[in-house]
Amino acid sequence: MKSLYLLALVSMTMLFASSARADVNLPGNKKLENADFERHIMGLLGRTGCNGGSCHGSFQGKGGLRLSLFGYEPEKDFVAITRDSSARRINPIDPDSSLLLLKATGQVEHGGGMRFSKDSWVYNVFRDWIARGAPSSAGRGEVKNVTVAPNEIAFKKTGELQQILVKAQFIDGTEQDITYMCEFRTNDDAVAEVTGLGMVKSIKPGSTAIVVSYRGNVMPVRILIPMTLPPGFQYPKIAQVNYIDREVFARLKKLNMVPSDLASDVDFLRRVTIDTIGQLPTPDEIRAFLADKSADKRTKKIDELLAHPLHAAMWATKFSDITGNDTVALENPPTLRAKRSQQWHDWLRKRFQENMPYDQLVKGILTATSREEKSPEEWLESVKKIDSGIDGVGKYDTGEYANRPSLDLYWRRQVAVPTEIWGERTAAAFLGVRVECAQCHKHPFDRWTQAEYRAYANVFASLGVGISPESKKIVDKENAARKGGAKNVNQINIIGKEVYTAAPAKTYTHPDTNAYLPAKALGGPEIKLGKGIDSRVELFNWMRSPDNPFFARVLVNRIWAHYTGVGLVHPVDDFSLGNPASNDVLLDALAKDFIEHKFDFRYIEKAVLLSRTYQLSAKVNETNKFDNRNYAHSYIRPMIAEAVVDVLNSALNTTEKFGLDVRPGAKAVEVGASQLQNATLSYAFRIFGRPARTTACDCERAMEPALPQKLFLMTDPGLLQKFNDPSGRVIKLTTSKMNDTELLDELFLGTLSRLPTESDRKAFAEHRNIVSTRRELVFDTMWALINTREFILNH
Amino acid sequence: MARDCEGFSRRDFIKVGSAGLLGMNLPQLLSLESAARANPTPQATNRRATSVIMVWLAGGPATIDMWDLRPNAPENIRGQFHEINTSAPGIRICEHLPQMARVADKATIVRSLAHTIPSHGPATVFMTTGNRPTPATQYPALGSLVTRLMPAAAGVPPYVSFTELRNGSAGQSGYLGTAYNPFIVEGNPQPAAGARANSQTAANLRVRGITLPTGFTLEQLENRDRLLRNFDQTFQNVDRNSDVVGGLDAFHQQALEILRSDKTRNAFALDQEPMSLRNRYGMTQFGQGALAARRLIEAGVRFTTVSIGGWDTHGQNFNALSTRLLPQLDQVLSSLISDLDDRGMLENTIVYCAGEFGRTPRINNNVGRDHWARSMAVVLAGGGFRRGYAHGTTDTNGMAPATDICSPDDVASTIFNQLGIDPHTELQTPTGRPMQLFREGRVINRLIG
Repeated sequence: MKSLYLLALVSMTMLFASSARADVNLPGNKKLENADFERHIMGLLGRTGCNGGSCHGSFQGKGGLRLSLFGYEPEKDFVAITRDSSARRINPIDPDSSLLLLKATGQVEHGGGMRFSKDSWVYNVFRDWIARGAPSSAGRGEVKNVTVAPNEIAFKKTGELQQILVKAQFIDGTEQDITYMCEFRTNDDAVAEVTGLGMVKSIKPGSTAIVVSYRGNVMPVRILIPMTLPPGFQYPKIAQVNYIDREVFARLKKLNMVPSDLASDVDFLRRVTIDTIGQLPTPDEIRAFLADKSADKRTKKIDELLAHPLHAAMWATKFSDITGNDTVALENPPTLRAKRSQQWHDWLRKRFQENMPYDQLVKGILTATSREEKSPEEWLESVKKIDSGIDGVGKYDTGEYANRPSLDLYWRRQVAVPTEIWGERTAAAFLGVRVECAQCHKHPFDRWTQAEYRAYANVFASLGVGISPESKKIVDKENAARKGGAKNVNQINIIGKEVYTAAPAKTYTHPDTNAYLPAKALGGPEIKLGKGIDSRVELFNWMRSPDNPFFARVLVNRIWAHYTGVGLVHPVDDFSLGNPASNDVLLDALAKDFIEHKFDFRYIEKAVLLSRTYQLSAKVNETNKFDNRNYAHSYIRPMIAEAVVDVLNSALNTTEKFGLDVRPGAKAVEVGASQLQNATLSYAFRIFGRPARTTACDCERAMEPALPQKLFLMTDPGLLQKFNDPSGRVIKLTTSKMNDTELLDELFLGTLSRLPTESDRKAFAEHRNIVSTRRELVFDTMWALINTREFILNH
Repeated sequence: MARDCEGFSRRDFIKVGSAGLLGMNLPQLLSLESAARANPTPQATNRRATSVIMVWLAGGPATIDMWDLRPNAPENIRGQFHEINTSAPGIRICEHLPQMARVADKATIVRSLAHTIPSHGPATVFMTTGNRPTPATQYPALGSLVTRLMPAAAGVPPYVSFTELRNGSAGQSGYLGTAYNPFIVEGNPQPAAGARANSQTAANLRVRGITLPTGFTLEQLENRDRLLRNFDQTFQNVDRNSDVVGGLDAFHQQALEILRSDKTRNAFALDQEPMSLRNRYGMTQFGQGALAARRLIEAGVRFTTVSIGGWDTHGQNFNALSTRLLPQLDQVLSSLISDLDDRGMLENTIVYCAGEFGRTPRINNNVGRDHWARSMAVVLAGGGFRRGYAHGTTDTNGMAPATDICSPDDVASTIFNQLGIDPHTELQTPTGRPMQLFREGRVINRLIG
């Protein structure tokens, strides 16, 4: 067998020279000599989708042919294609009658339809390979390095084309152009498109990335497409507040996009109040803010809101999502679950209120134990104290649990959680990385392999969730007393979930070799397992070290996404090779600042809120109207479900009843439980997307508008009932002595946080003529206002 | 794929079609714009059924005392009930289900269903999603999957539930997102005690959010909407460039259309049915709910769930079944099946009657049966399921399937097969992870008649 294969680039004029065998014409006048199984055929199997999860890559295969998912096991696939099924799939004597080609071209019935046509170059590559006896040489396709050129494309305008070239350096030292064996996809097809052959076309001004994958190697190509400016356009000078503005505006200048103007005071006040505390400013607060003539009033307002108790509640709610505060999954008895969820929320909230350094907050979660430094006896007493504070109608934790240094509830779930799920959960929460793909196969768009997945799961091998040997005697005694003669122990509060350091359990072995696999941080160092060693401590030390590539970046990105509506890496828990940051200079700068300020959460928040970028208007101009990733204007965005509930109550000046599990008078952002007994409210939470938190993924929170939300605002009986609340805004205004002008001012300030325009006043006056009572007038106006897009969106 | 960003107005495609926007999320709504221009691809044509009524027996019914009696087992297993013959030759069921015995020739009993979760919550999830629950993924309910894959008629909610399964912790849309949650029916179809069953009783039912609440007239809606339109000018020029703003506008138009339409409201006008039929279903919440479910299916609803609880018979199992549970189920389920059949609707409507698990063959000290997932029976009817057929058997003591063992995934796959949806269809989670509808499920070909 020949040992050297060449992929030759030849010009059109040399085509006549191609030999009958072993030279296949590729598009763009390229030629492929002697296609190699691993290098080329495997690439094509990926490109054509043959080894995808819904086709032959699925676990049971399809139609009798099973290929490795995304082609990570070329040797097995070679056997499947050339040997299995009585070797009918290939026929070197008469290549065209090979079942593989007959199926893939749809000449015989194929569940996957036609993958390529008989006259295509793909067909010819396969055919040529089969005709040469379907050779393969194991390991020939092993890749040392893949390069894409260019790895960044700055287009000049829309409608331009640019070819991406991909070269692979193989382990044997040879290098080949493998462009056509790759898959290409765009992260935003509204900005740039890419063909299957790697030709990129600029569509719309903006930025995105093209992701190139070649048999498990993933490489992004950044794309930048500027606006076309009218001749003579002078890019204005924009004032900058801090480094955030420097980086955002530098990018915008490259894109020929001019940032919007600074938001007006009322727009700023509404936006920042919703973002920080999930409420609306009251009419009086708006008036006071407008009347304040001091130059630093926005700074003062930001400081005030960041110190507001509901601000800590907002982040406790977000971190309840991130850490998976799933009420239903908490330990028995079910009657205490909602209140334990609240303890979880309270624990987080206390730390956000104190502005505890973020690394210390994570330490309290990640390295939590139940006993902490206590003896079993002391611990049992503390558990009794904590539980008695919540056990009973009308009893709410007064801070007993939140005073614990560590959040053992994070680990205390009724049903045992396998170590690999702890790996997935901690990776998503604190590293912003989704590794679940790698449970079964190498991650298709990231670096993670099955071995890395398992090695990371092994970090949690010494996590004990049960009763430790030290505590067993005393806990058994206590539980026996509690059980008495009861039949159904599920309903009794027995002590069953102590989080402790156990002797390491059986660890996962290497997926290929079945060899011992040391515990290892994700993309980090090996972590020691052993008796009495809490491996989570070393994991935490690795996470919080300044050179950890994820820890700080993920958090600043979460903060950034919270305040702008779009993460620099978006979605926020998808840090991966296939999903590069839209502005990595800014992301790096934020992370560096965060680390330099000792993980000071509120410091970063303040830097974001003070920036001109945050304070830009939502009103677009001709140059930035298409922008949705580069922060040229404030993005109009949905509110989280809790904010919707609170903002509706702000507008109606009413309160919410959350049932017996929640402290009376609580706002929605203060509620810890993911499931509530109060039906009306659960309904609102659900349709506006409060997550059940079962999967510990930010993505579980649906932020998109949907029709039921619209119908809820228009017709929900529970909501409309609030209009009749005697102390609510509608009734108060109905019975007030205000004239029409004052009435409308008050209604607008209470809902849209601004004064009515002339056209608003005119519409109101017209409506006045068709209603018969003042009550109807106020009722209808309130209904109309809360149903505007301006009301239900933050902007 | 190419998107015309400059000249396109979202309102263009809103006018294109109002079909089934109820079961749609924003990305789908937006992709409608391109779909409206491209040639529509024809659907697979092996569709036998177009809708599903799920009759949910919450708590876990003792199917060993209902559909699969074990008369040859010892006394502490076989229980107190006897078998009777049915209209389906060779199939015998419990003596307390005489009306079901009469329609057994139209039904399919699966006697060899088994899973391994004897706990209400996760078992409900398994049975109602066709996927074994895992900590990593929240699977969508069957109704949500149908909503996602089969658009409903205009102005009609695709997925309607008469009850919140396990207080809303099951029956939900899972990874599909909030747009695919069920619409919940509120109110009570049962006439007030002592009141004559008349037209008044019908007005009590309403799908939350689909109909205007009492005292809110259409005229008021139009007037208020005009005012709202006038106020909502701020984003007027933005909506072409913002998916969120434009999407909300599209949903607003749809909401109005639904509220103006009387399809759903009419479905609840049970007084349009003859009294004799209403009585046949029984003047109970469950019976009138099932009748309303049939009317919803007629109006174009794809998937509806009616439910009756009380099946968690840890104590006094036989008493509860014979006096309360079985007579009601017998009346309602048999009426539903024969009513659908009389109307020619059974051919394309699947009735699926199941609970989260069966109950222990061994009778406990309280004359009850406890949770048992390792063998259970479910009943199916219509939609091309094989009529008058009992699938699989259990061993003498009913402990486990003896032949043709199948799983909740298999039943779900078979139902979707009948709906013309490939059970291995791939959907994506919000993280972009491809998910097959029922990864482990295989279509049970012998269930199909």
